[in-house]
Amino acid sequence: MSIDTPEEKVIETPSGEAATETPVLTEVLPELPTVIDEQDLIIETRNLSKRYGRLQAINNLTLQVPRGAIYGFVGPNGAGKTSTMRILTTLMKPSSGEAYINGHSVVSAPREVRRSIGYMPDFFGVYEDMKVWEYLDFFAACYEIPEAQRPGLINDLLELVDLAHRRDDMVDKLSRGMKQRLCLARTLAHDPQVLILDEPASGLDPRARIEIRELLIELAKMGKTIFFSSHILADVNEICTHIGIIEAGQMVAQGPIKAMRQQLMPHRVLIITLLGRLDDAKEALLHVEGVQGIVDLPPEEGKTRIKVEFTGEDLRMSEMLQALTSKGIPVVNFAEESSDLEAVFMKATKGIVS
Amino acid sequence: METPASRSRIQLNPLRPLLRNPVALKELRGRMRGPRAFVVLTCYLMVVGGFTTLLYIAGTAATYSTSGEVDGGTLGRVLFGSVVAIELFLVTFITPAFTAGSISGEHESQTYDLLRTTLLPERQLVFGKLFSALAYVLLLLLAAIPLQSIAFLFGGVDIEEVLISLLVLLATAIFLGTVGVYYSALTHRTLRANIMTYVTILTVILITTAGAVIALAVAEGLNPSTSSTGSEWFLLIVRGIFVCLNPLTTLLATQQYLVNQQTLFTFQYTFSNGTTTTLPSPWIVFTILYLVLSVVVFFLTTRHLKRIEG
Ligand SMILES: Nc1ncnc2c1ncn2[C@@H]1O[C@H](COP(=O)(O)OP(=O)(O)OP(=O)(O)O)[C@@H](O)[C@H]1O
Ligand SMILES: [Mg+2]
Repeated sequence: MSIDTPEEKVIETPSGEAATETPVLTEVLPELPTVIDEQDLIIETRNLSKRYGRLQAINNLTLQVPRGAIYGFVGPNGAGKTSTMRILTTLMKPSSGEAYINGHSVVSAPREVRRSIGYMPDFFGVYEDMKVWEYLDFFAACYEIPEAQRPGLINDLLELVDLAHRRDDMVDKLSRGMKQRLCLARTLAHDPQVLILDEPASGLDPRARIEIRELLIELAKMGKTIFFSSHILADVNEICTHIGIIEAGQMVAQGPIKAMRQQLMPHRVLIITLLGRLDDAKEALLHVEGVQGIVDLPPEEGKTRIKVEFTGEDLRMSEMLQALTSKGIPVVNFAEESSDLEAVFMKATKGIVS
Repeated sequence: METPASRSRIQLNPLRPLLRNPVALKELRGRMRGPRAFVVLTCYLMVVGGFTTLLYIAGTAATYSTSGEVDGGTLGRVLFGSVVAIELFLVTFITPAFTAGSISGEHESQTYDLLRTTLLPERQLVFGKLFSALAYVLLLLLAAIPLQSIAFLFGGVDIEEVLISLLVLLATAIFLGTVGVYYSALTHRTLRANIMTYVTILTVILITTAGAVIALAVAEGLNPSTSSTGSEWFLLIVRGIFVCLNPLTTLLATQQYLVNQQTLFTFQYTFSNGTTTTLPSPWIVFTILYLVLSVVVFFLTTRHLKRIEG
């Protein structure tokens, strides 16, 4: 097996010249190699339940993750995300129901399941008395990678998570973010098809979080299915192809992120910052199809801001921008409200709070 | 790059297949890194060496006073026996300390789940932990052989005795190590695993010693004229099992038969009606018993680890 290290971060500009500067990380969007087949489920649970004594932690959960998806599993604290993942990773038995990874039952074929998954727990430790390369070598050996292949594999993995320069450092001396990346490299040792990551970005600073996010996109491009839990909706919003919202052990809603947004949030919200000509702008926008309403926002640094509610596809946004610029209205910022998913989340989980 | 020659040379290394076990390799690397391994070895040798010196001084004084001349054979035997006894004591306390944290420690450092989701078979995990701990204990035992061998200078001790004592010490270490790993797998706390292991060891020592003493007393209390060979056999076997479940009594009994009957592998037992029978020497029974028990405990441990938490 081999893990393709990401190509140089070379951005092909439309004119054909390559720009080598680092891309603006937050703007990297997943370009998945293939269209996701919604019927081809790589992770599937049926009526999965788990009780701890009298507490019903997971209640008839039906989870469906298609092959190749980046699936964000979100839910409030104690919703049952970690419990679900521990069942999927064969660490815990469900009280009832079934769970399959790549067609293998987590209860009756744990070894096949382990071969298919790479797991990063929410909290994990590293061995104190090991060097970075020894750490990866150890886990590669645990995954039955032949000794002769390991040095090359370790170099590839370290390259991938950008830790090649720390190869001979002691593992416990790494920073939190580096440990997180090292653990991610570890989950890739046996080239699994599915990555199950429990809050991969928790406890990281914004920079490290973006690095992890970028790495996940890179892995998805390699064809891996990524199933991860998160509280940070911005992460989910920006990289996921699919999302599942869990609350009190039950799946509130799941599906492709676009469909979810439309289903739960018929209105999309756009924030536009202008240097002036507010009334012209409103006039122009109201003529665009799909626009439902315009609200004035308090000005920021002297600039006028408005909030536009609209329905429909991204095409509407482009039409709005065109309507403004064609009239020469000075737009300085034009963006869909990023807390959009937060609203989806709040809306979906409202009322079921236990 | 490895040349074919260097590769075949590497494969001659007898440790090679064992180091294929990732856990064994990792543990040995960790154990040998830094000053700890060296410090433990030094302290161990200092304790054993210090006691030997003290015994030598006391022993020469004692043998002088009785005969006016140093009795080399007795002094050698006493020195040898004492070194083995000290080693036994140290092995009894060091081995559990090395193994009782082996699996609970993975829970405590939150690395167990990572390990568990790999393809590493449970038996390899247990074997790797056990092997790395025992390899170090073996190193301690081998390092003390020169001290045991001081007895050779005085005569009265054969090389076979050194080897038998080593075997008994090693079998003890293997069994205690397995028990340590077992409790370490059973509980997620190293402290609790340590306590459980030591309590088990002390119980075994107390019960076997008491059992051997009681069986001996009962046998001596039997009236030779009325007792049957059958009941004598029964008591003999009960006593034998107790003796052979305790490394200290095993060593003492083996030594006694060696001195009295000059045999290493068997001994003669004479019943009160005058008939004799030949039985295997205690160290053989002990070694077999301890190795069988170790295998049983090993399988209990892997069985426990295979269970998926409910
Ligand atoms: N081993 C356990 N024993 C008893 N109860 C447990 C155990 N593990 C989890 N729970 C309970 O099950 C529920 C679900 O916990 P879980 O850890 O799966 O939630 P989560 O969604 O991962 O939460 P968070 O976002 O805080 O990580 C919680 O109420 C928790 O207290
Ligand atoms: Mg959790």
